[in-house]
Amino acid sequence: MNKRRPNPKQVPDPNEPLWRSTLRVAMPLNLSYIPIGLACGILLHAAGFNTLLTGLVSLLIFSGGAQFLIATMLTINSPLLSIVLMLFFLELRYALLSSSLSPYLKGSSNRFLFMFAVSLNDENYAINYLKFATDKKWTGKEALMVEHYSLLFWAASNVVGSLIGSALKIDLSIVNFALTALFLYMIVMQIKNRLTIVICLISGVLAAVCMMLTKSTLGLVISTIIASLIGFGLEATLRKRLPDSHWLWRLRSPGSKKKAVEHSDAN
Amino acid sequence: MNAVNTWNSTQHFWLIILGFIVAFIPRFFPLMLFTKRAIPEWFNEWMKFVPVSLFTALVVKDIFIDSASYALLLDKYSEMLAAVVVIIVAYRTRSMAISVVVGLIGVFVLSMFMA
Repeated sequence: MNKRRPNPKQVPDPNEPLWRSTLRVAMPLNLSYIPIGLACGILLHAAGFNTLLTGLVSLLIFSGGAQFLIATMLTINSPLLSIVLMLFFLELRYALLSSSLSPYLKGSSNRFLFMFAVSLNDENYAINYLKFATDKKWTGKEALMVEHYSLLFWAASNVVGSLIGSALKIDLSIVNFALTALFLYMIVMQIKNRLTIVICLISGVLAAVCMMLTKSTLGLVISTIIASLIGFGLEATLRKRLPDSHWLWRLRSPGSKKKAVEHSDAN
Repeated sequence: MNAVNTWNSTQHFWLIILGFIVAFIPRFFPLMLFTKRAIPEWFNEWMKFVPVSLFTALVVKDIFIDSASYALLLDKYSEMLAAVVVIIVAYRTRSMAISVVVGLIGVFVLSMFMA
């Protein structure tokens, strides 16, 4: 790709149609959805979802984490209410993503905001946030196109994964690790300072304790609320008492400049 | 992961609809509200810690907690090692696809050598 377009950012072709320029922006994300979507489709098939419903869940929920969670919780026969509650807490993070995009979408109609919210997701958020922040010509219309491209690739790879799952016998405990890896990746992308690492450790210990005590995934919900409140409190106290504390120093990652578009969180 | 789920497609359909509603609420309402008025600072400061806390909790559940009895498990060595590999790869490449694929290959290879 680099050979064909040596410098795509600096020299935009003014005659390039909009669908193609937005597709070019969305392409790295689209391609990275393929392996994860395939794994997700295989797992959903194993959980009993038929191919049609796998397509539907990818279009309507459109969240890797949530769909993997549905598949895992169905295979351990969790009750409906517990799955939906867990999904709610998992999806609550979108409140943060959508509020941080809201300054760029001022003046849009509610119909547009509806369309935008339905296909919002961690990864296309990262791309759009970056484009909104750096490209003055980037508007809601282009952002929505990027969302739709990623939605299309995600749903298609899920459906193909579901078909693969029905054709081949696959070790599910290994495929399930795709979810763990996805979450680990998202944690690494979220780490901005040393305080975040402390919160990770606190949250990890709390999660184990709460789950052992409640004997259910409700422990996850409780530990998430406590850990995020501890983080909120600790940061506010540090900011007030020790504004130069090294716990608040920013951490930079070696690859962060090269592949900015693939960030899960560009905040 | 051996248990076979007994739900039928109608139940799956309703799960999707309910899932859509809980996925839609946190995506839409902040967007609708905050394109019209300012975001309260404390809300943002608090929500900042929700994703990282939740993802860590989910990873701990996947690696250290037994999915049936909710007892502490400390013998999933291949998953633990693969998790360390994923963290390093994610930190260095910042690519979601590479991290996930390396994680899958890692856990597959490691589980052949360890129980």
